[in-house]
Amino acid sequence: MPSPGKDMSQAGPKPPLEAKNLTVSHEGSPPLLVGLNFTALPGEILGILGPSGCGKSSLLQHLVGLAVPREGQVFIFGEDIYAQGEQSLMRARHNFGVMYQTGALFGDLTLLDNVSVPLKEFTHLDPNCIKDIAALKLALVGLTGSEYLLPANVSGGMVKRAAIARALALEPSLLFLDEPSAGLDPITARDLDELIGTLARNLGLTFVMVTHELRSIMRIVDRAILLGKRMKGIADMGSPKYLAEKSTVPESIAFFQRNNVKEKKEK
Amino acid sequence: MEPVIPFKWEGPDAEGTVRLYGNLNAFSAPRPFLTKKQVKTARNLTFDLKELEHLDLNGAAFLLSQFDLLKQMGISSKVQNLSSPLAPIWELAQKSFPAPDSLVPQKGPGPIEQLGENIWHFFKDLFELTTFFGEVLVHFWGFLRRPWRARWASIFTVAEKSVVDAIPVTCLVAFLVGLILAFQSAMLMQVFGVDIFVADLVGIAMIRELGTLLTAIVLTGRSGSAFSSELASMKSNQEIDAFVTMGLSPARDLALPRILAMTLATPLLTILADLAGLLGGNIVLMSLGHPYMVFWEELSSHIDISDIATGLFKSFVFGFVVALIGCQRGLYAESGPSAVGEATTHGVVTNILVIAILDSLFAVLFYALSW
Ligand SMILES: Nc1ncnc2c1ncn2[C@@H]1O[C@H](COP(=O)(O)OP(=O)(O)OP(=O)(O)O)[C@@H](O)[C@H]1O
Ligand SMILES: [Mg+2]
Repeated sequence: MPSPGKDMSQAGPKPPLEAKNLTVSHEGSPPLLVGLNFTALPGEILGILGPSGCGKSSLLQHLVGLAVPREGQVFIFGEDIYAQGEQSLMRARHNFGVMYQTGALFGDLTLLDNVSVPLKEFTHLDPNCIKDIAALKLALVGLTGSEYLLPANVSGGMVKRAAIARALALEPSLLFLDEPSAGLDPITARDLDELIGTLARNLGLTFVMVTHELRSIMRIVDRAILLGKRMKGIADMGSPKYLAEKSTVPESIAFFQRNNVKEKKEK
Repeated sequence: MEPVIPFKWEGPDAEGTVRLYGNLNAFSAPRPFLTKKQVKTARNLTFDLKELEHLDLNGAAFLLSQFDLLKQMGISSKVQNLSSPLAPIWELAQKSFPAPDSLVPQKGPGPIEQLGENIWHFFKDLFELTTFFGEVLVHFWGFLRRPWRARWASIFTVAEKSVVDAIPVTCLVAFLVGLILAFQSAMLMQVFGVDIFVADLVGIAMIRELGTLLTAIVLTGRSGSAFSSELASMKSNQEIDAFVTMGLSPARDLALPRILAMTLATPLLTILADLAGLLGGNIVLMSLGHPYMVFWEELSSHIDISDIATGLFKSFVFGFVVALIGCQRGLYAESGPSAVGEATTHGVVTNILVIAILDSLFAVLFYALSW
């Protein structure tokens, strides 16, 4: 299940994630984003960019099955996750991992146990092996030596990294990350980017990540969707290089801080 | 959840080569893998990954974990024919795999240490409660000197949420207790033809003891616990820290309004509870054939102002104590999510204990003063 080999061999090219005409909204409030259409390809690192408060985390909630969209569909590996209620959601949930913006670690479990939870629940591995795997995942995000600490007793960045390790526990073929490198120091952030890159290139994992870090975007994101408040939807889409250097959409220019370009044009 | 290309292995053969096929990940990892019997004769094992289609970090970690087990049996293992897409994964796994015996959980405390810790915690709690009590008294003094400067709006909000909203449940409980008390005693008293004294029994018990006690316990469970959990979750969200760094005082701005609201409103709730309990007693008496007013006439000839005063005095104290301990447990909670639950539990337990102890002390005191 967690290998792209399987999912691709099943029935042709089913994209890991596809949103069709999706409306993002909170109950009782006007919609934040309307008519979103986008796809994430296997092995791709898809960035979701946009100003704070434009609805990125809310979009993620719709994509991972936590909030039924007012309109539109979400397909995960070709299956409409909201089509048959809880049933299709349960099936889809085994195919992706999520890291929440605030970490959302289980507070009464050590970091090692946090990472072990999905392994214990969903595999038949023996406890020793689970411990090794969980420790390996923590080591990947640079948390060796903190295995037995409780989330309350580690720093904010460490919580974040442990949350990434937990999302990686089963190595699902699709991972949603909400601002993985926000609040990390540049060195840890670069290591994390490298890890995400390796997993995408060598294991074919697909990443859908919300991020504000320009450096991280330029380094690993293959394709980015820039959300805009003005049009309540996708302002711009393309490779980071294109968005940063060529795009003439005002949102892209503002986001990538190309003030100089804008000034030149105005002249 | 089955992988499409299942994992298989062959061997070990005479040279100690184990061939792996298919797709190795957390779901396809076999259990058991190599049995003791299979590897009995081998000294060195070679794992041939030539035919392995897919290997993820979990699969690699599984193999490395097996290598550790084999090593403990004195067998060394290595891999060969690693295909190029798998090599970086294998390397990454090897680099990050925990060193053997590096994963030892911290040992929990022994029984003696635990005993010491408990005693230490008891005195620490007592110390913190006393400190907090002092702090609140200081602010209380400030309130008495300038009552118009208090946050009356929040005092009234708390009073409404914590006491007024508790009226139905408190009155229902008091009513039923009065009813049961009257009913049980009436059975016996009727035999002697003195069932009219049920009124005095229920009246004195309710007004002096039960009404006050019931109200205090209902408020502990309903409102004191809410204070603890509210403040403890504020604490674990660093909201209390934000309060302090803004130059505000949690004791003055968070605890005092709650404590004042409870202290002022609990006696009123107690009066209602008393009345509900008496009504329960009266209903039993009426069902025995006495007219409605008999109960009250009997009561007024045996209850005097000191009974009512002691009950109300105690309810002031209990209201104060319930809010004080509830707030103290919340504000002094550890941070972390389980701390909210712990703070609430401790708050309720401490409250019930303290109420019971205080009530006994009051009983002795009032007896000595013959009130
Ligand atoms: N539970 C909720 N109910 C109603 N509105 C909400 C809720 N959660 C968020 N919002 C609103 O939705 C909007 C988008 O919030 P969201 O958290 O998705 O932003 P974001 O793009 O992730 O921002 P950031 O980059 O700061 O994390 C905000 O204006 C917020 O006020
Ligand atoms: Mg967000």
